[in-house]
Formats: sequence, C-alpha cells, structure tokens
Amino acid sequence: MANKLVSEMRLPPHLAHILAARRLTTAKDVLSLPEVELMGVLDAGIHTARAAVAHVSEIACPPYQTALALLEAFRARGDGRLATTLRGLDEALHGGIPAGKLTEVVGPSGIGKTQFCLKLALLATLPECYGGLNGRVLYIDTESKFSSRRMIEIGEKSFPQIFRQEGLAQKMAGRILVLRPTSLSEFTKSLEQMKVTLLQHDVKLLVVDSMAALMSSEIEKSATGLRQHPLRWALSFLKSIAEFSQIPVVVTNQVRSQSNDDGYRYSFEVEKKYDSNNAEGFESHLVAALGIQWAHAVTIRLVFEAHSGHRYIKVAKSPMTPAVAFPFTVESSGIILLSDEGIDVPSPEITSIRCQGENVLAQ
Amino acid sequence: MEIADLPIATSHRANLLAAGYSSLAALSAASPPRLARDLSIEVHEAEEILKVAVGANKSKGADGPSTSSVLKGAQNAWDMLSDEQSRRHINTGSADLNNILGGGIHCKEVTEIGGVPGVGKTQLGIQLAINVQIPVEYGGLGGKAVYIDTEGSFMVERVYQIAEGCISDILEYFPHCHDKAPAGQEKLKPESFLADIYYFRICSYTEQIAVINYLEKFLGEHKDVRIVIIDSVTFHFRQDFDDMALRTRVLSGLSLKLMKLSKAYNLAVVLLNQVTTKFTEGSFQLTLALGDSWSHSCTNRLILYWNGNERYGYLDKSPSLPVASAPYAVTIKGVRDAVNSNSKRVRVM
Amino acid sequence: MAATSASGGAGCFPRPPPSGGEHGFVLGVQEKKQDEEGQCFLDGMDLLKDATENKRFLPTGLQGVDALLGGGLRQGQLTEITGQSSSGKTQVCLCSASHVAARQLGVVMYLDTSNSFSPSRIARIVDGFPISLVREPKNVRLERVMSSIICKSVFDIFDLFEVLHQLELSLKSKVNNGGNKICLLIIDSISSILAPINGGKYPRGRSMMISVAMILKKLAYEHNLSVLVTNHMVAGNGAPKPALGESWKTVPHVRLVISRERGSKICAATVLKHTLLVFA
Repeated sequence: MANKLVSEMRLPPHLAHILAARRLTTAKDVLSLPEVELMGVLDAGIHTARAAVAHVSEIACPPYQTALALLEAFRARGDGRLATTLRGLDEALHGGIPAGKLTEVVGPSGIGKTQFCLKLALLATLPECYGGLNGRVLYIDTESKFSSRRMIEIGEKSFPQIFRQEGLAQKMAGRILVLRPTSLSEFTKSLEQMKVTLLQHDVKLLVVDSMAALMSSEIEKSATGLRQHPLRWALSFLKSIAEFSQIPVVVTNQVRSQSNDDGYRYSFEVEKKYDSNNAEGFESHLVAALGIQWAHAVTIRLVFEAHSGHRYIKVAKSPMTPAVAFPFTVESSGIILLSDEGIDVPSPEITSIRCQGENVLAQ
Repeated sequence: MEIADLPIATSHRANLLAAGYSSLAALSAASPPRLARDLSIEVHEAEEILKVAVGANKSKGADGPSTSSVLKGAQNAWDMLSDEQSRRHINTGSADLNNILGGGIHCKEVTEIGGVPGVGKTQLGIQLAINVQIPVEYGGLGGKAVYIDTEGSFMVERVYQIAEGCISDILEYFPHCHDKAPAGQEKLKPESFLADIYYFRICSYTEQIAVINYLEKFLGEHKDVRIVIIDSVTFHFRQDFDDMALRTRVLSGLSLKLMKLSKAYNLAVVLLNQVTTKFTEGSFQLTLALGDSWSHSCTNRLILYWNGNERYGYLDKSPSLPVASAPYAVTIKGVRDAVNSNSKRVRVM
Repeated sequence: MAATSASGGAGCFPRPPPSGGEHGFVLGVQEKKQDEEGQCFLDGMDLLKDATENKRFLPTGLQGVDALLGGGLRQGQLTEITGQSSSGKTQVCLCSASHVAARQLGVVMYLDTSNSFSPSRIARIVDGFPISLVREPKNVRLERVMSSIICKSVFDIFDLFEVLHQLELSLKSKVNNGGNKICLLIIDSISSILAPINGGKYPRGRSMMISVAMILKKLAYEHNLSVLVTNHMVAGNGAPKPALGESWKTVPHVRLVISRERGSKICAATVLKHTLLVFA
C-alpha cells in the first residue's frame, strides 16, 4: 500500500490538488517527509499539511484484525505445516515447519543441511495421506548441490510403500522445480517473478539452499557500505512471499569462524573470563555467516552442529518451542533422529554452533 | 508570537510581511476578503491564515488575573504525583522484572525493549498484550491492546497459549473466582483475550508511518486501549531507508507522535528494537539499532540479554528508577520469574 | 545516578528586593517598554549593576556541577546540558527543579518532550533534603515544593512556540504581583523537538530553530529566567558531539557535557563552553 496513488485516494479536492501540483504521487512520497518539510514542499500551512498527512495515512494504513479473527482464519485454513517426519522435532515445533514464516537452517558444511532440505522437498510433494502437502516445490539451489538421485534414494528408503508404485518416484521428482541462479541479480529477478509462479503452480514449499553462498559472493564483489543492502531486500521479499502465499519457506545459512572482534556483549556487561579449558580439542567456535540482522528476521532457527562425537539439531529460536537439542545421524534414508526425547539445552549455548574437527567434513 | 512563527505557508508568510502585516494585532484587524486582496490569494486561504492568527492571539484574551494557572494545560508536580501514584502498571509476568521496572510497564510513557534474536522480545510483547487485559478486579488494567507487527513474528497459536497461561495463573491466585457469577467467568476465556488485541500487519516503512499517524484517530475511537506494541520499530527502517539524515528526522518525528499518543490517551507504548554491533572504544559492542539520535526517544529502556544460562532484563534508562537488572524466564505459559527465584515454574523455554 | 544529596549551593545569593525600577537613569522608574523601538539604551555600568543585583545563580543541587558552572544556573542565561542517552541529563533537570523550588527561589516551569518528568523521583529527591533547610514538616514541605514545579508536555515545534508565547504573556502580566514568579525554565529535551526540523532542503526548519533560540534568550533576559535545556549527542567524526549542529552551538551561554561510566553510577561533567570563565 506504500505505493498507493494519491490520486486514487479520494482526498478532499483541495488536498488532492495541492499534492498533485507538487508531484507527491504516492503515499510513500507524502509520508516520508517530516511535517515541517511537507509544509515547505506544499507551501501550505500546518493545518493543510496535517490534514493531508491524516488523510493519506488513514488510507495507506492496512486494516486491522483482532487476534481472534487471526486465530479463526488460522484454524479454518488448517495450519499448512510441513511435518519433517522426525517425530521429536515435529513435536517440538508443534507439528512441523510452519507456513507463512521464515525458517532457517544453519550449520557447518557437510553436516546435513542439504539432506534435510531434500527430504523436506520430497515430503512437500507427497500426497496428503502420506503426510505431505501434495504440491510443488520451488528449490533454489545456489551451490549446485541438489541431487535428484539422492532425493529418490531418500524417498525409496523412507517410504518404500509409496515408491514401490511404478512411476511415482518420477512424478514426485517432477514436482520439484529447481532454479540455479548464479548471481544475486539473477536470484532477485527470479524472486520477482516468483509471486505469480507460486500461485500458478500450486507451490507448497520454497527452499533456498543456501542464502549465504549467494551473499558471500556478492559481498566480495561489492565494496563495503552497500554490503547489507541486497540481503535486506531479499530478506523482506522472502518474508512477504511466505506470508502472501502462506507456505513454509526454508533457507539455509552457512557458518564462519568467530573472530575476536565480534562483540557479543553490551557495554554495561562486565567482561567475562572465558575458561580456556572449555575449548577442548578440535572444537572451534562458529557463528552464522549472515549477521545479526538476518538472525532477527527469521522466525525459526534450527542449528545443526557436531560435538562430542554426535551431531545435533537444536531449536535455537522459535516463538513456540523450548530450547531443545536432538542427536541425529545421516543415513541412506536421510536424517534420522537418534532419540525423540529432546535434551534441554541451557540457553545461551543454544545459539552457539559447534563443529568438532573429526569426520564432519568427511561426509 | 511573531508573524514569522505562525504555522502558515512560507509564501504566505513572506507575502504578509511584504504587505505590511508586521504584527498579530495588525493581522487580526483585517477581514478575509481584504487580506485575500492584499496578498492576492484565495479567500479561503485568507480565512485559514486568520484562523491561525486569531488562535495564536486568543491566549492574550484569556490571560486574566487568574494567577494559579501560569500556562494552559500545565499541571503542577503535586497533582501529577497523586495522579501517578493512583496509576496501575502493566504486569510483565515476572515479579523480578516488575520490580526493577517500578511495578511493571507504565502508562503515559514510552518504553523501548531491545535484545539479541531469540532472547524473548516478541514473547514479552505478546505477554504484555495479554496482561494488559487482566480485569480490574484481578489487579489488572482491563484494557485492550494494539499490536503492530512489522516482522511477521506474531504467532497466533502462541498468543492463545500465553492467554491460557495467564488465565490459569489468575485462577490460581484468585481461587474464589470459581464461585463467581458466570458473567465474571465469561470474560476469562482465551478467545475473549484474543478478541481484544487489534493486530496491524505492516509491510513497509510507509505503512509504519501511516499506522502511527492513523493511531491518533483509531485511539480516539477505541478509548479502552491501554497499550500499543510495535514489534519491531526497526525492521523496515533498517531495511530500506537510504537517506540516513532524513531517516533520523522522520524517526524523531515519529517518536514525538508516540510520546504524544501515550500521554493523550493514557496508554503505554512499547517499542521492540533489534540490536546491532557498533565499534566504540576499540572494540565491537552490542547496542540497540537505529542510532544515537533514536536512543533519546524513549522514556525507559529495557535491554534483554543472556547472563550465563539465564535471561536477564537490564533497565538501562529511566527517569525515576535506578539502573538494575533481574532474571526472567520464558515458559510455556509465557514470561515468568526465573527458576531459582522463589516461585515455581514449568519448563524453561 | 548523580549524587543527589542537598548541598549548600555555592552560588545561591539571597533574594533581591522586590523588583521595581532599578534599571538606572535611562529608564527612570518606569516599566521597561520594549514595544517602542530603540528606547532601551543601557551602558556598561547599568549592565554590571543589573548583573550583580539581579542575575543570581540558581543551584542545581549538585555541588560539583554548580562549581563547574561557576555558581549554578545563572539567571538571564541559557545553560545547555548535553550527553548520551541515559547519561543523567533528566536527573540534573529534576534535581535542579527540586532544589530551586525547595529554596523558595521561585516557580519552576518544566517543559517535557519525552514523558520523562517524574513526580515520584522529585518527591524522593525532596524527601532526601535535610529537614533543617526550611523549618516545616516534611509533608507540608513536599506539597509546597511540588506545587511550585509546573510541568507541561510539548510534542512539536508549533506547540513550543505557542507555549513560549503564553509564557511570555503570563510573565508580563505578573511583573507586578511579586511572589510566585517563574525563575527557572527547563526544556527536557530541546533536541527532541528540534531534531525533526533540523536539516533537509527547506530553510524553514533552521529559521524556526533560530527563532526558538531568540525567544528563549529574550525570555531569559527580560524576565530574569534561568533557562536550562538538554541536548542529544550524535556520532561525529570519531567522538560523539552535541546534536543540532553549528548554528545551535552559538546559542547557549554555557554548555555542559555529562557522561556516565557504563554499568556504574558515577557521572562526570565537563564544561564545553562558558561565557564567564576562561580556559587556561
């Protein structure tokens, strides 16, 4: 509604006239000026300026709903969640990856993020009677890691009863649209066309694997300063897609090692002494590659990490869920939880990402 | 007041001075048609100028021998004190947090709450939207809430859960209310709590400005709203505003509007803010987003942070209370006291 | 927060005789007539006399700050306190208001732009004063002190013009009735009001800022007010600097920067500019 035309707002004639005369054509033009500047642009008195702002604001402001109406709509719609079929994780997430929200999967390379995404993609294509969403999947593969063969293998191993049927595997695989943008601008372009595509093709899941790859190549190219900008744009666009079409959006993120400059303290906090004994063996401290601003924007963050010989999925940020971790392994049928009982994680450890040197990269 | 300070168009002001209207007295003696002729403007424009001028001059007439009121609309601190002491505060759900906040979130003030992702800002926001509705007979304000969501992080199932948690706590603290009339019972349903949260979903900074402007009218029509929560005030302004100087001006204008709303409609404004890193004194530190100028635009500031394994709230700014910090926890039921403080709790989130 | 204990304010001069015609030869015994142009000629002797007799220092209640200010908040002058967010600017304002009111120096007018005028904080400050300061029961004193602090919320520049205009009118009408005269005007914070209009393509904003400055100085001078305003700090090149830029910089007579050590309760104050003192 930001770009709503002033001429279509049915303002009182004298206001409409004065705004048009000064080329303030959209709500954005009118509202992004402070009051006094608007008086200057319009060459008008305070009453006229305030009346114009009040009128335009009322029209540009989206309508409100009560939370109860949201709840009823939510219940009527069905929740549209995508169950991961990992029982413990599904329980922790109240049924799976939620629709209309951004879910992030972050972890070191080789830990199983792509495996997780492949499985989700497959699940979304399955008929509803098998717990799927019976729709298409848009899979944006920026690192050329998508493998149909691996996906079918996961499918055959996890749902032998379905894949025994002739041709079904092909049909399922055919429902996944893979895009391989090579640059951010290409990605941006495909995102723009996406809103239409999503509705036309009955897409029920959007996966971006990985977001960070796209960004890191871009960051190297562009000088500092503008660095955050394309990311911000992509971020708000992904969010609006999720909400607009009410589908789950899953985005993967890489990690980088934590540099000493990373301030994770407020100025009022006393400097904490880190126990040097804590840094055992090969363990290194990692942080998500996309910074804090990105972390603010995702609704659910799943951290994949490895330590003390096990891999864990941690629910690091979720408005619904306690901080829990689940040990897992990657098998031919995809990711398997070793236990459906979540381990309570003493928070802030929940936000840390650990990666034990051994055998993770070997995968 | 001088002609130069009148809130009228710049060109009109110049014309007035050029036409020889140098004082308010001279101006108020003029008739609209005459003024229109002198300035060669439309009569309705002349009327508007006169209206403004007369308004500015009126205070002169009202200025009688009454010595008690020095200024129209001003109050002395003694009256304000008794007003303040009679006010109730909005419970955060955690007694320790309430304690450092002087009883909870205050009406007529703007409170900023910031913290790292996942520390519980949205949780606290939702909790406040529910707690403001606790009926008066159970020690609450019995008000309604406006929730302005700029990030899409408002999950209605979670709101329902927190409402249930709030109700079960009320029933626990006031066991006698089971015997009350069904009318009283009627109110204590999660659905009725949800029905009194007005939710705006904002998708751009233009809409965010629009909604804040529109609130003036909306609150005039919904006088029982006691809290306005913006979650988060940062997102769109950080996202797509390029002219930083203009952003500062727009934001400071918005903050004054919010101050005005909170005072005029006797409600609490709660602004959730993100954090960012900033290079000061030779190292990177966490600080709330939107810059130095914005940091002045709240009455109180609460920073949520991790201290070891616990979530803490730190009162960073307040005109009336000392700097302090206290632990809290986020549970299935919502925001509550931390485990090791003396009240019992369910499961840590 | 800053130390709030009462102190014998260094520069608190006794109350002068009731105002009248001590403006010397030029004006005679008549009221000042600023409406007629060019009638007010004062020579240096008059100004000196005026300065020593009328321009008192009002105590901030903070010994260190008073000392830095050369005695306190001088009447007829504009004092600015600037500092980072939560450095204690509002505390200095509240503290000054309580002290000035408690010593019966006059009425305090407090213009609040950020809803941070806290009556309960003032009550606590007043409660902490030694009882011997004025011989009266605590609760009577509290009511008296708090009744002479008047607060008004101001949320935009036009409000501010309106309020200052009214204030001027009421000051003029009270020239003769002696008691209850306003002696301290506090604006906390002036920069919140001026920030939305400061900058941009249109010169109107800047001219309004200058206009505010002129009005404040005029009020201060003509009605013997101390004016205390607070200002933000913004990021400059490297170190933070006071907001509102170069054109505002020349306005206050005295500029004080305060800062608070993060995580501690100690505040430090530094004078940036003072028209009466010379820096070695």
